Amino acid sequence: MESLTITDQTSVEVNQMLRRLIKEHDELRIENPHSIHNLGTALKGKCKVTINGSTGYFTGGFLAGPTLEILGNTGWYTGDNMSDGEIIVHKSTGSNCAPSMMGGTLLVRGNSGSRLGFGMKGGDLIVCGDAGRWAGYMTLGGRIIILGKMGPVIGESMYKGVIHTVDPDVESKIGNNVRVVNITESEKQAVTALFEKYQIDHPVDQFKSVIPLESGRHKYTLFNPTHRQSSDANVNLHHKI
Amino acid sequence: MDKAVKIPKVTIAQHGVWTKETRQEINHKAVTGQHRVRGMGAITRFPNFDDLTVLPAQLSRLSVDTYRESCVTKTSLGSRFASKPLEIETPIMISGMSYGALGKEAKTALAKSTQIVGTSINNGEGGLLPEERDNSYKQVVQILPSRFGFSLESIEAADALEIICGIGAKPGLTGHLLGNKITKEIAELRQIPEGIDLYSHPRHGDIFGPDDMVLKIKELRDITNFEIPIFLKIAAGRVTEDVKIAVKTGADGVVVDGCQAGTGAAPVVASKNLGIPTLPALVQATRAIEDMGVKDEFSLIVSGGIRDGADVAKALALGADAVAIGTGANIAMGCISCQKCHEGVCPVGICTQDPELREKLVDDAAQRVANYITAMTNEAIIIAKAAGKTKLSNLEREDIRSMTLEACAMTGIPLIGTNFTFTEPFGFF
Ligand SMILES: Cc1cc2nc3c(=O)[nH]c(=O)nc-3n(C[C@H](O)[C@H](O)[C@H](O)COP(=O)(O)O)c2cc1C
Repeated sequence: MESLTITDQTSVEVNQMLRRLIKEHDELRIENPHSIHNLGTALKGKCKVTINGSTGYFTGGFLAGPTLEILGNTGWYTGDNMSDGEIIVHKSTGSNCAPSMMGGTLLVRGNSGSRLGFGMKGGDLIVCGDAGRWAGYMTLGGRIIILGKMGPVIGESMYKGVIHTVDPDVESKIGNNVRVVNITESEKQAVTALFEKYQIDHPVDQFKSVIPLESGRHKYTLFNPTHRQSSDANVNLHHKI
Repeated sequence: MDKAVKIPKVTIAQHGVWTKETRQEINHKAVTGQHRVRGMGAITRFPNFDDLTVLPAQLSRLSVDTYRESCVTKTSLGSRFASKPLEIETPIMISGMSYGALGKEAKTALAKSTQIVGTSINNGEGGLLPEERDNSYKQVVQILPSRFGFSLESIEAADALEIICGIGAKPGLTGHLLGNKITKEIAELRQIPEGIDLYSHPRHGDIFGPDDMVLKIKELRDITNFEIPIFLKIAAGRVTEDVKIAVKTGADGVVVDGCQAGTGAAPVVASKNLGIPTLPALVQATRAIEDMGVKDEFSLIVSGGIRDGADVAKALALGADAVAIGTGANIAMGCISCQKCHEGVCPVGICTQDPELREKLVDDAAQRVANYITAMTNEAIIIAKAAGKTKLSNLEREDIRSMTLEACAMTGIPLIGTNFTFTEPFGFF
C-alpha cells in the first residue's frame, strides 16, 4: 500500500497527488493529516484511502467514487456535494455534514454536529451517535439514519427523502411541513442491508421515519401570535436556526 | 341672481397616500392575510445613470472618429487567480435567469444570442439546461444554496462560476417559483414535487460565513484547476463591507446587483424596500476595491436596471468592468412588462412553462437580443469615442459629471457647472 505523509503541502497539492495515485493503487494511506481542510476534494475512480488521524473542514467534498476512511474526527461540511463513494468517519464530525449530498454513503461512527444533511439530494447519511439540531433541513432526497438522540427541528420543510430515528421524543422535535410515520418493510430491508454492510449492530424495528407531507405543499407562518394558543400548541414554531 | 348656481363637484382623482395601488395592496392583504409576490422587481423610481452626463472631448483632448476609428470592447474578467479568464467581446453579459422562471425556448434563444455577439449567459437557479450549454458562447454557472440540478458536471461545463450570496430584487431570499411553473420536467430537474409553490433555500449549507467561503473557493479552485474565474454575486446593501470581504475570500470578482434589479418572482415588500440602487452601489464597490488595492485584478460587474449603452458607458466610467442585463434582454425578446412573470401566464412566451404560451415566443428572439446588445455596445462606443477613448475600459470618473445635487452627493462626482462635490469626493480634488 502506498503511504503519504503530509508535511507542509497544501490541500491542493495533496489532492493532486491523490488523484494521480488513485489511478495506480487500490489502497492508499495518509499519515499525519494535520486536520487539513479540503482533503480529498472531487476524487474519482475506485480506491480506498485511509487517513490516519483527523481532518478539517470540507473533507471529501464532491467525492465521486473512492472510499475515504478517516480514523479520527472530521470538521464541518464533511462530504459536501458528494455524488458517489463512501466516507467513513471513525470518530465524530462537525456541523453541516453531507450538505447537498447527491449519492454515496457518509457513515459517522461517533456524533454529528447540527444541520446534518442540509439540502441533501440523495445517498445515505448514517450517524451512529447523537446528532445536533435542524437535521435534514429542506432535503430533496436521500436517507438519513440516526441511532442516537437528536436535537430539535428535525426535517424542517423536507421536499423529498427520509430521516430514520429512534429518538423517543421525535414527535415533539420535528420541524414544520413534515410528519412522523412508522418505518416501512422495504425501508427496514434497505436499512438492514446498510447495517450489515457497515457492521452496525442495531435493531431496525423501532425506527420512526420523518418524511415530507403527502401533498408536498409547505405552509409557512411568519407571524405567529402565541397569546391565544393552548399549552399544547405546536412548539416547533419557536425554534430558531 | 335668483337662479340657483350649480357648483361643480370636485372629485379627487388620486389621493396622495391612498393611491389606487395602495388600496389594492391593502385589499389583497385583507383577503389573503399574505404579503404579495410578483414578477419584474421594484417599480419605484430610483436614482439612475440618467443623473450623470459624460463630458465630450473638445480642445482639452481630441475625440475619436465614431465611424472610422476603432474602439476596443473586448473584456476580460476574472484574471486575478484564474488562468483562463472570461473573455467576451462586449462588456454586456446576460444575467442568471433560471430555467423554470423562463421557458426552454427563451433560455435557448438567450444562449444563441451570446453566440452571435460573443458574450456570456448565466444559467441561474435550477440546473443547467443542455440546450443552453449547447448554444452558449460562454457559460457562467451559478452556485446557489438550493443546488437544484447542480453537480460536479455543472462545474466542469462552466466557463466561470458565480456563487450567490444575494439577489438585488430580494436580498435575504432566493428563488420563488410558484406552482403553475413547476411542471413535471422542472420538478424532476430540481428534485421537488410537481406543482408546489417553491421558496428555495436562502443560504448555502456549505458556506456559513465568510471564513468558510474562503475554504469553499479553495475547494472550487482545486476542482477547476485554477482555470476558470469564480465570482460572488451580492445584493447591494452594505456594499463597502461586503465587497471588501469578497476581495478577502479570494474570489476573482463580484457581481453587485442593485435593488431595482429584475426577478421572476419576489415579495413586493422586499423588492421595494430592501437594498440600495445600482448607481450608489457601484460607487461604493469601486471605492472598496480601490481601498483594498486590487483595482487592476478584481473584476466588478454591476446589474440592476441597465437599459442602454449610455448606462454601460457610465457604469464603466464609475469603475465597473462589465454589466449584466436581465429584464432588458427579456424586453428584446418581446416582454411587455406585465409583471405576471410569477404566474407563468406570460403572454409572449418568455416567463412561462405552458407549451402553448411558449410557442408565442417570437421566432427571431435570439437575433433580437443579439441586436439589442450590439446596439447597446454601439451606443457605449459612441459615448466613449466622443470622450476621446479608443477603449471602452478607458472611460473614467473624470469623464462624467452629476446632473443633480442628489447624484452629486451620492456619487462624489462633481455637479455640472461646478468643480465641487457636496459629499465625500470620489477621486476628485
Ligand atoms: C425572470 C428572471 C429570473 C431570474 N432568475 C434568477 C436566478 O435564478 N438567479 C439569480 O441570481 N438571479 C436571477 N434573476 C436576477 C438576475 O440575475 C439579475 O440580477 C437581474 O435581472 C438584473 O436586473 P435587470 O433585470 O434590471 O437587468 C432573475 C431575473 C429575472 C428577470
